[in-house]
Amino acid sequence: MTSKLPWRVTYRLSTQCPRCLSRLPPRRTLQTTTPKLAFTAAPPVDLESLPPQNASNARIVPASPSYFTGRPDSTDNYLSLLALLRRYQTLPTVPPAQAPRIAWRTVTQYRLLVGEPVRASKYHKIIEVLQRLNRIHPSVMPPELSGAMQIYKRDVDPHATVRKPLVVDEDGRAFGVGRRKSSSAKVYLVQGEGEVLVNGKSINNVFGRIHDRESALWALKATNRMDKYNVWALVTGGGSTGQAEAITLGTAKALMVFEPALKPALRRAGCVTRDPRRVERKKPGHVKARKMPAWVKR
Amino acid sequence: MSSHIPLQLTMSLQTCWRCLSKTSKPPLFSLQHPLQSWLLLPATIAPFTTSASLAKQIVNSPKVPKKKKENNVLKVATGFRKKSKKPTDVGKGRRPAPGERKALRKRVVLSNTNALEVHGLQDIDAESMMNESFRGQVLGIPGRIVDRLRAVEAFKVPQGWALFRRPAMLMRKETLDFGREVEGIARDEKKKSIRRVYVGERGSGKSLMLLQAMTMAFLKDWVVINIPNAQDLISAQTEYGPVPDTTPTLYAQRNYTATLLSTIARSNPSLTDLQLTQPTNLSDIPIPIPPNISLARLASIGSSDPEIAWPIFQVLLSELKKPSRPPLMFCLDGLAHIMCDTRYIAPPEYKPIHAHDFTIIKSFLDHLSGAENLPNGGAILAATSNSNNPVIPSLDLALSQLRGNQTVERDPFAKYDERVLGVFNKGGVEVQTIGGITKEDARALMEYWAKSGVCRQRVDEGFVGEKWTLSGGGVVGELERAVIRMRV
Repeated sequence: MTSKLPWRVTYRLSTQCPRCLSRLPPRRTLQTTTPKLAFTAAPPVDLESLPPQNASNARIVPASPSYFTGRPDSTDNYLSLLALLRRYQTLPTVPPAQAPRIAWRTVTQYRLLVGEPVRASKYHKIIEVLQRLNRIHPSVMPPELSGAMQIYKRDVDPHATVRKPLVVDEDGRAFGVGRRKSSSAKVYLVQGEGEVLVNGKSINNVFGRIHDRESALWALKATNRMDKYNVWALVTGGGSTGQAEAITLGTAKALMVFEPALKPALRRAGCVTRDPRRVERKKPGHVKARKMPAWVKR
Repeated sequence: MSSHIPLQLTMSLQTCWRCLSKTSKPPLFSLQHPLQSWLLLPATIAPFTTSASLAKQIVNSPKVPKKKKENNVLKVATGFRKKSKKPTDVGKGRRPAPGERKALRKRVVLSNTNALEVHGLQDIDAESMMNESFRGQVLGIPGRIVDRLRAVEAFKVPQGWALFRRPAMLMRKETLDFGREVEGIARDEKKKSIRRVYVGERGSGKSLMLLQAMTMAFLKDWVVINIPNAQDLISAQTEYGPVPDTTPTLYAQRNYTATLLSTIARSNPSLTDLQLTQPTNLSDIPIPIPPNISLARLASIGSSDPEIAWPIFQVLLSELKKPSRPPLMFCLDGLAHIMCDTRYIAPPEYKPIHAHDFTIIKSFLDHLSGAENLPNGGAILAATSNSNNPVIPSLDLALSQLRGNQTVERDPFAKYDERVLGVFNKGGVEVQTIGGITKEDARALMEYWAKSGVCRQRVDEGFVGEKWTLSGGGVVGELERAVIRMRV
């Protein structure tokens, strides 16, 4: 059945669509006139000149055969993608890792676009076809195909934004910001003898516990760089644990500016990922975040 | 344990203001101010500076008689009676005797038989204390010096002496510098005197610097007077009374002075060779002092009789300033405590007495400020404390200005004490900051710890660098915490 369909996307998903410009979710308008489509609908039934042999068989033929799926636009989209794939499947491909990294729309965004309750599993099939199409070698990518894929891409490409690389400045300092709980630390690292100043004070004046001092300098200790760098940190907010671990993260980031190859070692030491946990909020009916009041008889 | 003072002597001095109403008639013995109060050092033997054998005696001291237990069984059960939920036999163990817990807390243990003996540990002597080649080495303290240092209470409880077989110390830069100065005073004809205040971070070794200075003074046969904890002088734990015929009124601490004299006599054997040059004035000291007695004997007379302790202390000091006497070292730990009002109060206003009105403190500060000089040379040393110190803005201001920071200005909202500022106004007081030790010194210290068996890790460059950084740049106390005390 699919082979009979012409190779065109429906007007709803075409790039010239006014909806794409306005970024509004499409609305399905009720209309009586049939749009000009590739499908040739059957001519209106002239019951007087050609009376049906059996009047009960007379019916209106829908514009697209997908009409009967209940989700005609998304089905048509899928079928059109399959047709494109069939047409271009002989083109050379690249391994998946080398294909351009594209953030496809999420299923929710797609539902808003087509205005149909598309199932996640069905959308996943579309994504699979898209990923296969994306693997076609970029040098031979047909413009028609890239135009067809364009509408499935997210409006803002997260992979396109590149973080500004941190560099060692002219004074030989590397800078890193670390956060933990409600503490925030700005850490400057220079090559040196292992001297540490936190908020202008020596580290034993800031952190009374040796444990906190060790965790603040854990990035340097885990990489055996304790006596190679001097640390100058400004830390605000939170308690001693949070401040110490914020310095850890900032130091690790600053250290990776000097020695980017240390990233795996630092990740193994747990100094790369920011711990996103914060104090859990208190809930109504609870004494604290989770604690419930004691049960009292009557 | 300490000497009881005859009743007629105690009555002449005012003990405390609460007793004033009882001056008309002789107070009951039981209501008297306790003369057995703990002191700098009891006149005989201090229990808290003994080794384990003497501590055992404390534990075996006579037990407090137990009260007879009452029978808790209810004889007549009348209606509901709430049962007592308290366990009946709470006090099964013996309650510690008065002063016992304090004695245990203050006990200084100087040797540990479980610690490994460090082979090749040299002892410090008069030559090595200024020899630059000993820089960054750990030297043992000779036994006779240890006894004398223990007598002057130079060793403190939290300093960790109990971890090692015998006391030893690191020859850091400040130590050798001081050694050279001591040597210079011995050679110099002018008999210069050092007046110095040690400041620095908590655990940086200020008190230990005093100990090292006293060690050197003992090695050079100087006379050493040490006030190990200035807080004892102001915390109203030792009795006090006005000195007659003084305006403004000065206050003497008889018992403290007596124990101080006893300490001086025990810790300075050289006093036995020095003789009293001129007879004492009977108006000052009511009892006749035989002429030509040794200064050690003079001090022990003073220590046995608190009533005349202060006049004898004055005589002793003046005798030590006579020509051809050895240099004098006067040390005090916890300088900030003697820079504020004490806990003592005095009539007629019943307001706190300023610390500078106490005789021993005044004597020390006169020497520190330069109002009284040391004709035979010597050193007046004070150390501040960072863990136990009252906030004294005037002292902070004076010390920071003496440190060369002239830009420090007076805080318009702080109260400044002109008497405190006056101590440092005359100039000549040095302020020396004790900081962290270098990595080489830290390494030497850690190797000594490793040889003593308290540090199990391999002492290499990475380990030394790591601990040096963790201790805030080689602050010795923190270094010890990180390497010895902390077990992960």
